[in-house]
Amino acid sequence: MESECPTETKKGKSKTPKKAKESILKQKSPAEFFAENKNIAGFDNPGKCLYTTVRELVENALDSAEAISELPVIEITIEEIVKSKFNSMIGLVDRERVDEELYDDYETAKAREKRLAKEARAQEIQAKNAALGKKVKEHAVSKSSKGRGEASFYRVTCRDNGRGMPHDDIPNMFGRVLSGTKYGLKQTRGKFGLGAKMALIWSKMSTGLPIEISSSMRGQNYLSFCRLDIDIHRNIPHIHLHEKRDNKDKWRGAEIQVVIEGNWTTYRSKILHYMRQMAVITPYAQFLFKFVSDAPDKNVTIKFARRTDVMPPVPVETKHHPSSVDILLIKRLIAETSKQNLMQFLQHEFVNIGKPLAERLIGEMGPEFSPKTAVKSLTDQQIVRIHQLFRQAKFDDPSGDCLSPAGEYNLRLGIIKELHPDMVATYSGSAQVFEGHPFIVEAGVSVGGKDVKQGLNIFRFANRIPLLFEQGGDVVTRTALKRISWNNYKINQTQDKIGVFVSIVSTKIPFKGTGKEYIGDDISEIASAVKSAIQQCCIQLKSKIVKKMQAREQQERKRNLSKYIPDATNAVYDVLKEMAKSHASKKKRYEEGDADILRKVSDHLITKETLYEKLTQHVEKVDYEMALEYATQTGVREEPREDIYLESLDDKGNFFDFHSPIFVFRLFL
Amino acid sequence: MAEKKKRRRADSDSNSASQPFKNLLKSDAQILQILKSVTSSSSSSTSKPLTLADLALSSTCREVSDLSLSSVQSTIESLVLQLTHQILSGQGFSFIVPSRSSSNQLYVPELDRIVLKDKSTVRPFSHISSVRKTTITAKILSLVHQLCLKNIHVTKRDLFYTDVKLFQDQVQSDAVLDDVSCMLGCTRSSLNVIAAEKGVVVGRLIFSDNGDMIDCTKMGMGGKAIPPNIDRVGDMQSDALFILLVEKDAAYIRLAEDRFYNRFPCIIVTAKGQPDVATRLFLKKMKMELKLPVLALVDSDPYGLKILSVYGCGSKNMSYDSANLTTPDIKWLGIRPSDLDKYKIPEQCRLPMTEQDIKTGKDLLEEDFVKKNPGWVEELNLMVKTKQKAEIQALSSFGFQYLSEVYLPLKLQQQDWL
Repeated sequence: MESECPTETKKGKSKTPKKAKESILKQKSPAEFFAENKNIAGFDNPGKCLYTTVRELVENALDSAEAISELPVIEITIEEIVKSKFNSMIGLVDRERVDEELYDDYETAKAREKRLAKEARAQEIQAKNAALGKKVKEHAVSKSSKGRGEASFYRVTCRDNGRGMPHDDIPNMFGRVLSGTKYGLKQTRGKFGLGAKMALIWSKMSTGLPIEISSSMRGQNYLSFCRLDIDIHRNIPHIHLHEKRDNKDKWRGAEIQVVIEGNWTTYRSKILHYMRQMAVITPYAQFLFKFVSDAPDKNVTIKFARRTDVMPPVPVETKHHPSSVDILLIKRLIAETSKQNLMQFLQHEFVNIGKPLAERLIGEMGPEFSPKTAVKSLTDQQIVRIHQLFRQAKFDDPSGDCLSPAGEYNLRLGIIKELHPDMVATYSGSAQVFEGHPFIVEAGVSVGGKDVKQGLNIFRFANRIPLLFEQGGDVVTRTALKRISWNNYKINQTQDKIGVFVSIVSTKIPFKGTGKEYIGDDISEIASAVKSAIQQCCIQLKSKIVKKMQAREQQERKRNLSKYIPDATNAVYDVLKEMAKSHASKKKRYEEGDADILRKVSDHLITKETLYEKLTQHVEKVDYEMALEYATQTGVREEPREDIYLESLDDKGNFFDFHSPIFVFRLFL
Repeated sequence: MAEKKKRRRADSDSNSASQPFKNLLKSDAQILQILKSVTSSSSSSTSKPLTLADLALSSTCREVSDLSLSSVQSTIESLVLQLTHQILSGQGFSFIVPSRSSSNQLYVPELDRIVLKDKSTVRPFSHISSVRKTTITAKILSLVHQLCLKNIHVTKRDLFYTDVKLFQDQVQSDAVLDDVSCMLGCTRSSLNVIAAEKGVVVGRLIFSDNGDMIDCTKMGMGGKAIPPNIDRVGDMQSDALFILLVEKDAAYIRLAEDRFYNRFPCIIVTAKGQPDVATRLFLKKMKMELKLPVLALVDSDPYGLKILSVYGCGSKNMSYDSANLTTPDIKWLGIRPSDLDKYKIPEQCRLPMTEQDIKTGKDLLEEDFVKKNPGWVEELNLMVKTKQKAEIQALSSFGFQYLSEVYLPLKLQQQDWL
């Protein structure tokens, strides 16, 4: 809707030839703007473009499935396309190089000589090593650095079981930047509302190939297929093919396929991290990730299985909080409202303004305002007055009801599923407010696990999407590193494998920087909420850790006590020996009981071993008594049980039941 | 020497603008006259120090005394025999150790020092939390017993190195050593364990160290290291008018090089920071034998005052021996928080106090040994209020010798101490 105005005015001008040298007033279409500043949408370089494309498609797919309360099943495939295949796709004939020296990666005679000499030397050393029987290292084949022209191309396909798209809307949903369904005030995943459109712009910039969309909605007996690209200058879709096809399998969902330039080698780990963290925060979804290339050893297939069928509710759209609006927004709300007078406008277009408050507010605005004032007739000055009052007046905080946090249960499951930690604790804070937008902070802290690095491993989520870049400045990283004294909770910050998960949801996440990849550390409301959420987790963990330590102490008590027996007996015996000597030489007199002991020491009736045995016996007795006491105190206590989730099978009905009085054994055929 | 001194002073007179307050100084002879009157009055006023018994506190407070080697030995032996009885009867063994925690400390205003109350803790062998300490205690006892037999002195470091594997860390063996002297009821020096030399003394003092006569005016610039075993020190003689206690090495070197003690007869002592046992014993001995006033020159920060209090009232760690370690009636000469403005110390030489500093300052205000002296409370309040601190070296902003040539003489002339 917002995009209409610039494109309309643009049409005429874009066709005027650029002959005139003097600076003429130019206008850009939104698509053009994003094409030129693609970095602000996370399309910095080919590698990042591949990453962002995957992420936009996955997030759209999740939104689409959640919108119809369907447990998401998402398949994402990245297919590597070698240059010759790519050329044949676009109908370009592969040409051999004729003028070798024309190319950037051409090797001059001198360079060639140098390289050969180097290789010869390396071979010589290798031969020597082999002769000496040393382990021969696999000589790394010197990779010829890719020339500028040697781009890699990938076909990214994302298939979901979501709502699908109405047949006639498909072209506009993909071929028009800044037109979308996510512009209301609610918690959304999408970062800019650009979604797949930016991927389309990038594919047009790097490969020139169109995007292909198949979709089917519930109750449709056909399948929409559309192949289109975007007219960047006019910001309108350019449709190649748009038709209805047969939907024999009664499939519902959407499949989007786009061919772009990318870089798998450098962004492989980022993409896999993203998928893994997405699986943590959305354990109710099933992801299948595939990377396919000509080299089979490079191929990757990972299935992130579903662990629960409890889905967080769909976030609801909410109205603006008076303290969060600006003058422009008030004007827009006035333009869009269906209410006639000021009284109704205040009551219905904002949250937390009831009738009595609206009356008081209008009274405070001044004599020229009345409840009956027609809202469309307000002057600019009057709007400024309303804005000022909104800033200064006291309103109740917005409620967090419109938010949809992942939920402690889901967060916990996700952590357990992906990290297999020894211990995990989760906490969900209550809704808080920053600049009129409610936010909820949830945190999970885990200790131990497989494939977890020692020290702090931080996982950040904003509106239930993982944040991977610019970790250093993020509020979560800084809080976990600097403001939590892990020692207090018996956690060793450098030695233990600590996982810190923080998920923040809000109607507006206060991102920092252009890439929207981190939340700044300067918002004290969020910083303190993050800190207290992590602390709450730590408090839960502490009691578990202390219990564990007690149990370990219990087990190791005997060993720890026995360890000191030799040192203690030696010390005592050394003194005794000296005393026995002086007693024997009659240098000193002792009382009868003491003299008796010293005599026995002199006669080797009491030796170091005697003391050792006596002390060992005592330690064993004490250990037994304390173990008994511990057992009676703690009793037979079990760890709290975790629910397990069994994925339901497709009920094809092809099975036998074997009944017994206590269970049913079902055998599928 | 004196002539040379005079000439230099005359030189610096010419640029008195850079050394403020120089014109306030009277002649050295006049200042000496003032000091002499102070010294004579202070030496006559000292009376016999009070003891715990005088206050009827000896039953509720614990105090140790110097014991002869043979009595230390027999105390250890009877303790070890007790342990042997316990072990042989199959009960394991345990020590009863006087608690040195801060809750077991008491400041006695009449004595003006911290003393240890009578609370004790049992340290059993067969408990996981105390097995280590108990073993170390037994080991230290046996080591001290050896020292008694052989009649030799070792350092704390030596003691630690006899069984590094058991002690792990010198802090642990040092702490247990204090426990042992507390338990046996003797001073740490009686155990024949000494700390490495830390303190130094220079000035108008002659004493005998293990039979050798030492003249502290002829010990070069660095002065004489304070001997670790005080029992070998004796025959103190001096014509000094006061003892100057310096916190920092830097200020000490300045005063020693300028031969401050020749201009105003005095004895200069420093322990380079927190004082060790030997320095505290030495100061106490000087004060008792020579009956001189003690003036302290410390940094204007909470730690300076803390060091001053350790000399004066004792440390909590060694309160069991505070009778021997504390020197009563130490005067706070400088640098006091009020001096910062009084002597116009430039802003760039003052440091802002950290949160920690301010907290320490506020904690000190709660301490009894500070409260007893209203002058100190006032100064400390000023420090906490202005949130500024300064080191002795801040005076160097007026020239390196400002300390010895203007600041100290002026302070002495005005008898400006608390």
